[in-house]
Amino acid sequence: MASNPMEQFTVHRIGPEIKIAGIDLSFTNASLFMVISASIILLFLFFGSKEKKIIPNKIQLIAEIFYNFVAKMISDTAGSKAKPYFPFIFSLFMFVLFCNMVGMLPYSFTVTSHIIVTLIMALFIFVAVTIIGFLKHGFKYLKIFVPSGVPAILLPLITIIEIISYLSRPVSLSVRLFANMMAGHTMLKVFGGFVVSLGILGGWLPLGFSVALTGLEILVAFLQAYVFAILTCIYLNDALNLHH
Amino acid sequence: MRSFLSLSLALTAMSTNLYAAEAGMPQLDPTYWASQAFWLILVFLILYIAISKFYLPKIKDNLDNRENKIKEDLEYANKFKEQSEAKAKEYDTILKNAKKEVSKIHFESKNILDKDIQSKKEIMEKDIEKEILKAKKEISELKKNSITSIQSISESIVSDIIENISGNKLNESSIKATVEDISKKNINKYL
Repeated sequence: MASNPMEQFTVHRIGPEIKIAGIDLSFTNASLFMVISASIILLFLFFGSKEKKIIPNKIQLIAEIFYNFVAKMISDTAGSKAKPYFPFIFSLFMFVLFCNMVGMLPYSFTVTSHIIVTLIMALFIFVAVTIIGFLKHGFKYLKIFVPSGVPAILLPLITIIEIISYLSRPVSLSVRLFANMMAGHTMLKVFGGFVVSLGILGGWLPLGFSVALTGLEILVAFLQAYVFAILTCIYLNDALNLHH
Repeated sequence: MRSFLSLSLALTAMSTNLYAAEAGMPQLDPTYWASQAFWLILVFLILYIAISKFYLPKIKDNLDNRENKIKEDLEYANKFKEQSEAKAKEYDTILKNAKKEVSKIHFESKNILDKDIQSKKEIMEKDIEKEILKAKKEISELKKNSITSIQSISESIVSDIIENISGNKLNESSIKATVEDISKKNINKYL
């Protein structure tokens, strides 16, 4: 009965095959869950902003809490200069959060557990932040690799380390989210498999673990969305306000 | 029980390994990478446009409205508070003035009353003095009159007594002289 814990991550085509210029762009289960997550966000925001009440109802209150949460996160980490990027950070946070949360439902697909998805988001952020940095500061933006107050003898080494750390940003950002989601879901599946294979007598212990892990995974789902968004804010802060 | 447990664990491990070896990590299979990238960009773009153009401005408007409303209400409340404070001050001054006026009126009327009483008292005292003087005069007159009348009465009584005792009529002038003499001696005891 125990099935492969990695099977939940397989992508398969839904509907007809779409090929544009020889590239397979078919609608898959991953695409389906992206659409579902985005639809849930849009529905939630629709009902959250439909009635403009002075005293908000529950859904409006939750939408406003999300708004204030992200707004505070941005102003705390990147300051007032980051205000034009608020819609992007908000969309990013909501998308990652809802993809993670939708992935917690049984038989669903976790979009963010795929390296290609997180890598594209991280690469976009990396490229965008770098472009913003160069647009705002010109070549002075390269100062980000040369921290001030470092002894001259250490400077070449520090600069190399800074460059490496800057270039590894998209990798760390994407792998963090992908690995967390994949590991959590694999673990859940493995413990679920144990419940089935150990049967009614021995299955209670892994079942308990499964329940506890589900709680933990919901926490991780929120936390990783938050971390993803806040790291984006921090990178944006580096590009907007040169500290070095 | 123990053997069953170990057997099932071994079976699970075996089957898991078997499948894992067969499938590996589906994330690293590049078949649908382009598709995932394409759909991610498409969905996220739509989401971003919808959120930034429609929903965030709405939520922001709503939050601003609420903040403004709270600010306005607070301003109103402050205004009303100031007004009520001003009114309370006004009331206080009115009350103070009224109190002052009351004490002034009280003082004035007291003075008037005092003066009135004083003047009336004086008049009364004068009247009383006059009456007393009058009464004194009357008394002294009465005293004089009473002495002469006492003398004449006592003269007639004496002459009557003497007449009844002795049967002789005495000389009136001698009686008169005697009575006068005695009354002069004793009259001071009674006056």
